[in-house]
Amino acid sequence: MLIIQAIGFGVITAALIAIGAMGFTVQFGLTNVLNISYAGAMTVGAFATFLAEVVHLPLVVGVLLAPLAAAALTWVLGRTLFAFYARRGAGLFEMVMVTLAVNLILQFGIDAASREQIYRFAFPQGASLHVGPFTVTVTQLALVVVAVAVFGGLEFLLRRTRLGKALRAMAVEPRLARTCGIPTARIVTVVWLLSGALAGLAGLGYVINALTIDASVGTSFLPLVLAAAILGKAGSTRGAVLAALALGVVTEEVAAVGGAAYSTVAGFGILAVVLLTRPAALAGQTAGKAEITV
Amino acid sequence: MSFYISTLLVYFFVDVLLAWALNLQFGWGGIPNFALIMFQAAGAYAAAVVSLGPDTGAGAFQRYVFGSNLPFPVPLLVAAAAGGILALVVGVFALRRIRRDYQAAILLIVSLIAIGAVSNVVGLVNGSNGLTGVPKPLSGVLSGLTYDGYQWVYAAWAGLIALGVYLLVARLGGSAWGRALRAVRDNEDAAATIGLNPMGLRMQAFVIGGVIAGLSGGVLVEFLAAWSPAAWGYAETFAVFTAIILGGVGNNWGVVLGTLLVQVIFLQAPTFLPQIGYTGLIDALEWVLIGILWLLCLAIRPRGLIPERRHRAEPPPAGAVARATAAASPAPGMPQ
Amino acid sequence: MRKPIYLTLATTGLLGLAACASSGGSTASTGPVGIVQVGAYTGDQAFEAQFAASIDYPALYAVNHAGGILGRQVSLIQVDTRSDPADALAAMGKTLATSSNIAAILGPDSTSAATLVPLLNSHHLPMMIAAGEAAYDRSPYAYLWRDVPPDPANGEAIALWAKQQGYASVATVFGTDTGSQGDLPGVVAGVKAVGIKLADQENLTPDQPSYRAAVERLLAARPAAIITESDGPTAATFFGELKQLGSLVPVIGTSGTPSDSYFTPMRGAIGSANFNKYFRAVVVGNPVTNPAVTAFNASVLAVQNKLSKPVTQWENNSFSESGYDGMITLALAMDAAHSTDGTVYNTYIMQVTAPGPGKQVVYTYAAGKAALAAGHKIQYIGASGPLLFSKYHNSFGSQAVEEFPANAPAVVVGTITQAQVQALGG
Repeated sequence: MLIIQAIGFGVITAALIAIGAMGFTVQFGLTNVLNISYAGAMTVGAFATFLAEVVHLPLVVGVLLAPLAAAALTWVLGRTLFAFYARRGAGLFEMVMVTLAVNLILQFGIDAASREQIYRFAFPQGASLHVGPFTVTVTQLALVVVAVAVFGGLEFLLRRTRLGKALRAMAVEPRLARTCGIPTARIVTVVWLLSGALAGLAGLGYVINALTIDASVGTSFLPLVLAAAILGKAGSTRGAVLAALALGVVTEEVAAVGGAAYSTVAGFGILAVVLLTRPAALAGQTAGKAEITV
Repeated sequence: MSFYISTLLVYFFVDVLLAWALNLQFGWGGIPNFALIMFQAAGAYAAAVVSLGPDTGAGAFQRYVFGSNLPFPVPLLVAAAAGGILALVVGVFALRRIRRDYQAAILLIVSLIAIGAVSNVVGLVNGSNGLTGVPKPLSGVLSGLTYDGYQWVYAAWAGLIALGVYLLVARLGGSAWGRALRAVRDNEDAAATIGLNPMGLRMQAFVIGGVIAGLSGGVLVEFLAAWSPAAWGYAETFAVFTAIILGGVGNNWGVVLGTLLVQVIFLQAPTFLPQIGYTGLIDALEWVLIGILWLLCLAIRPRGLIPERRHRAEPPPAGAVARATAAASPAPGMPQ
Repeated sequence: MRKPIYLTLATTGLLGLAACASSGGSTASTGPVGIVQVGAYTGDQAFEAQFAASIDYPALYAVNHAGGILGRQVSLIQVDTRSDPADALAAMGKTLATSSNIAAILGPDSTSAATLVPLLNSHHLPMMIAAGEAAYDRSPYAYLWRDVPPDPANGEAIALWAKQQGYASVATVFGTDTGSQGDLPGVVAGVKAVGIKLADQENLTPDQPSYRAAVERLLAARPAAIITESDGPTAATFFGELKQLGSLVPVIGTSGTPSDSYFTPMRGAIGSANFNKYFRAVVVGNPVTNPAVTAFNASVLAVQNKLSKPVTQWENNSFSESGYDGMITLALAMDAAHSTDGTVYNTYIMQVTAPGPGKQVVYTYAAGKAALAAGHKIQYIGASGPLLFSKYHNSFGSQAVEEFPANAPAVVVGTITQAQVQALGG
């Protein structure tokens, strides 16, 4: 029964990972920027809500601040810093180095500002509900609902709106898209904002679950988010969700069976296995598309 | 004061070893090893657990594997081997031909996960408390020395090791193997066409770099007598990257200069400032400065202060885009 | 080969810098007396900083308010180890090199002890260490002093208390984070030594959303009590689920548990009434009420704006009291020896704390200083009780079992003496 209950926990964990992975992959699929500072954006989102709570703003305002703050940050970074290096001809790997440097600045800047302490994050968890063999709190259920809503929203955006179609076109053939009159700059802006907003939500969800917050939360959460995004095809929200489900459930099952100590490694074990057996699955994604679009 | 200088000197030699390891893997091999510090940690832990006695001994307060109480210099050899073996294991799945940004991300993830795993599997190397009481090498034989005297002997010993490793990497760099490695870095397809083995060459560079990094960990842990996860956070790898990017990727002496500038001068100088804000504020801001320094390097002098020596004549790349790409990348024409 | 030039230039520059800054070595005899507090102000173990503050500022207040040491005020030099031995060594080295008035060291802590103790001992700097490792029970370092019991002693005291309470079996629940694991070996050894069954051992990875599996295993093992140490949120999650899934049993926390960051989440998770009913902690430090405790509490209140809130967690806090006593002892030793030079006053540390005929018993720094000035020999009895240093410079003392009403100082409900712990083979 513990094994069955772990599936429930796995779904909740997967919901968190999925929100983060979807935000990451939509941006990565379009711009080809493997944005490590996504971790910093997640931390910023979490802190925005935490600070709102400290100054006693209403809960709703606090929750909205997370995606807003992170979106603003990501958009500014994308349009200024990343665009700067992209214009100077930075390749895929150089952009990773840039985003990594930015993440260092974000993480340790927040560390310094927060006096390097770990703070307690109190968030109403709501009553415990019993859904079949699973016991979840209202907040955890809400997280799952949010993840589903985000997925649904993104699916609608990408497949049913003109913006979404333009985005998908750009992801495949940026130069052709530009020639066809697609407003590429505007779409890139939307994508940075979207990616940042989802990062903020993911970061907030993570600290709601963990009940503590400090400057390293984004970097702690990043491996799972990144693994899910890499496993699902870049740019594919469906892939990201499936990968998140796999990672979430496996992590919790290993925790249930073998102890939480090994769950951190287990999630990554999947990635290692895929890399060993189907490296082409990743290499193949580069076919014909190896440039930065910002 | 003499103690402070000798300490910095030991740290300098250890950091230079790491810089040469990264230079081999990244500068010549093109492998973005964002998990570098993990290999130093592997070496440090390995040296520690084989030079400590069994963990069930009297007054046992730490838990770890092995505990073989081996004498100097065996733990250093074990440290080097540990770094190499870990590189072999990681290399098997991380050195496939995948996009460099994916590769970098995966190595970063490995480094982050490793810290989590070590901290939570307490019986391995005593979890987040880390290991302490690692015996100092030859402390019995050299017991006649004063504390400061022993420090200087150790600094000289670290210098000797650095010299040995320098001779190794200089030899490798100038050899046919080194040229082949750089050829693979510059254009993997062309290299494969003329009969070179890209995966094999990369793996060799990765493992040798791992050995050197592991050795550096052994030297450091025997000096400090202690080691814990705090000593190998992911950010430490970037101090080394900054050092080699500033000093000059691909050039052995360039990375020495970079290490001196970044690890010694840049990271130690702020400790002499009068205390601003709360204790530890300046330390935290140092990492912010590393990030900023890194961004500046990439923007202004991506080849570093002492760029890689050209080992052959090369026609300048034509066209504006190609020029910009060449200027922004540490080495031109890398397959993406 | 072109590059040796750069290296030579850089090294020369560095040596030049060193020469300019070089001033360390002999202890100055005018100006403020420097006491170094070395600990983790940043990094994984940054929680130490607040404990350090609760020791340093009250002690500094007590000493400086009474006129300082030998007429000189005491100034605090904070050295940050960053929770990393390498940084600890560099920071300590730099401080030693650039300060000429260092008289004593408070610390090092567990992370940096192995690295720093040999260095500080070779510089003849008396240290009051806070490291709990059993390795220092019989240390060969003449300048090392410890007035807190080693970690295993706390675990053994907990086991003795459990035995006194009549628990037939216990389970251990410890976080895997830094600072929580230290007491576990002592607890396990102690439980076995008193003959209680160790029904289950749980090691919790911190900050997980759920510890369902661990809770279920523990409930299946049916312990009569739980011995625990972990950070606050981890404990709240675990014990909250324990309450949900089964029922609570008496919980005994180690000496590392009492602090607001532990109590508040726990109270939130299991309810204040349950917390008061089930939770006890065995803390190091003598449960005494004497004038020294009064003086300590008064000092704490005097400097409360420098300590983390609420200030009630520091009043009667045994760990803080031990540290405070350590500093007072060092100061009195310097007064007695008429010197701030470690080579001179190190032996006086034992002299001002050991009982003996004709000695005047004092409970505050001011009283001790006055008595010394009048030519008496003194015995300082501190807020943690008498400091009875063994020949290996360890002073154990009794340990107190306490309960913790909300927003009020702790209440002592039992005592485990040093003799009882040592009888156990500790």
